[in-house]
Amino acid sequence: MANIARKQAVQPQGANVREQLRAMDDSAVVTAFLGGEERAFSELVERYQTRLLNFVYRTIGDREKAEDLVQEVFIRVYRHLHRFDRSKKFSTWAYTIASNLAKNELRNRSRNPLVLFQMVQKNWQDDDRPLQFEDSTSRPDDMYRKRHLREIVEESVAKLPEHHRNVFVLRELEGKSYEEIAEITDCNLGTVKSRLNRARNSFAEIVAPYME
Amino acid sequence: MDCREFRENHCAFVDDTLPGIELVRMQMHLTECDRCARQDATIRRSLMLFRNLPPITPSADFSERLEKKLREARLADAAALQSGRSRKLAAMVGLTSVVMLGYIGMSLRHVDTPQDITFPPVVATASEMDPVTSPMTDPGSEMVAAVPAGLPMWTAALYAEQTSVRFASAELTATR
Repeated sequence: MANIARKQAVQPQGANVREQLRAMDDSAVVTAFLGGEERAFSELVERYQTRLLNFVYRTIGDREKAEDLVQEVFIRVYRHLHRFDRSKKFSTWAYTIASNLAKNELRNRSRNPLVLFQMVQKNWQDDDRPLQFEDSTSRPDDMYRKRHLREIVEESVAKLPEHHRNVFVLRELEGKSYEEIAEITDCNLGTVKSRLNRARNSFAEIVAPYME
Repeated sequence: MDCREFRENHCAFVDDTLPGIELVRMQMHLTECDRCARQDATIRRSLMLFRNLPPITPSADFSERLEKKLREARLADAAALQSGRSRKLAAMVGLTSVVMLGYIGMSLRHVDTPQDITFPPVVATASEMDPVTSPMTDPGSEMVAAVPAGLPMWTAALYAEQTSVRFASAELTATR
């Protein structure tokens, strides 16, 4: 009975802490974690896992690997959060780690033809998937068109040079400001603008024939 | 505005970050130049497509796997910390041992090497002869005469044996 009573007393308190953490901004959550509140880290994971996963996935094009890399991002955040300069934005720091890991992955891949082959093979297997997985409410021809278009868009992004793609995804998908992108990619503002401009033009050029 | 300037400013135009006057000039150019208008439309449509790609969500076991990896990381960090402490301790013990051995070695070296004993310089002072207070320094006129004269030493020894008697007689003479 005493245990049950204790559990009942603890649970609302835990839920209360989680609610409080949810209401805080990133900086306050980081401070809470550094102050010994372990649940604050879960809050950071919850806030960033999907965003980082999409960013890394659009950059490297491999879902499984993207998940591994995002997990690595969180492990690095956990280990080095005490060294994080709190005068800066946490999101910029997290994206910088993710961007560097994605860059390393692409570099390793270009050096290892076996990985490239496995990726291509995986994409072939993806093509063999039955169409009903797309959207059961659409007509088959619509489903096919949508899937085809999605694949074309994804392939077009993949065709962009790595440094253009990185900037492009950060701007178009994550909605980062030019200044944030400059910080994440370690470039100056002018380079970011020029890369973004080129990436947009190249992307439009690749996709254009399929849009008519 | 010409097409080159339009292209240069297009990024900011799409992002809506141009100042008012520039924005109006860009819009004016769009109405005047079909080529730039087409390019603008293509870029905006392609971006729309990209932004509308369905987002992917983490797999069901994402959190579980992350928790496992974090646990491993914590253990690895703790082990690294522990080994770091052990290394520090070992280094300190080693350092102390070296210092102590060095000290012992130096001490032994000092013992082994014979050193010349240096005495303070001898300062001799001639004190006044007082038969009462310093009887030992008064050898007696007989001894003084006997030694350089080559008398046998037993005579001198005899004199030495008699000194107490002589002291007593000297004291008696002084009190008298």
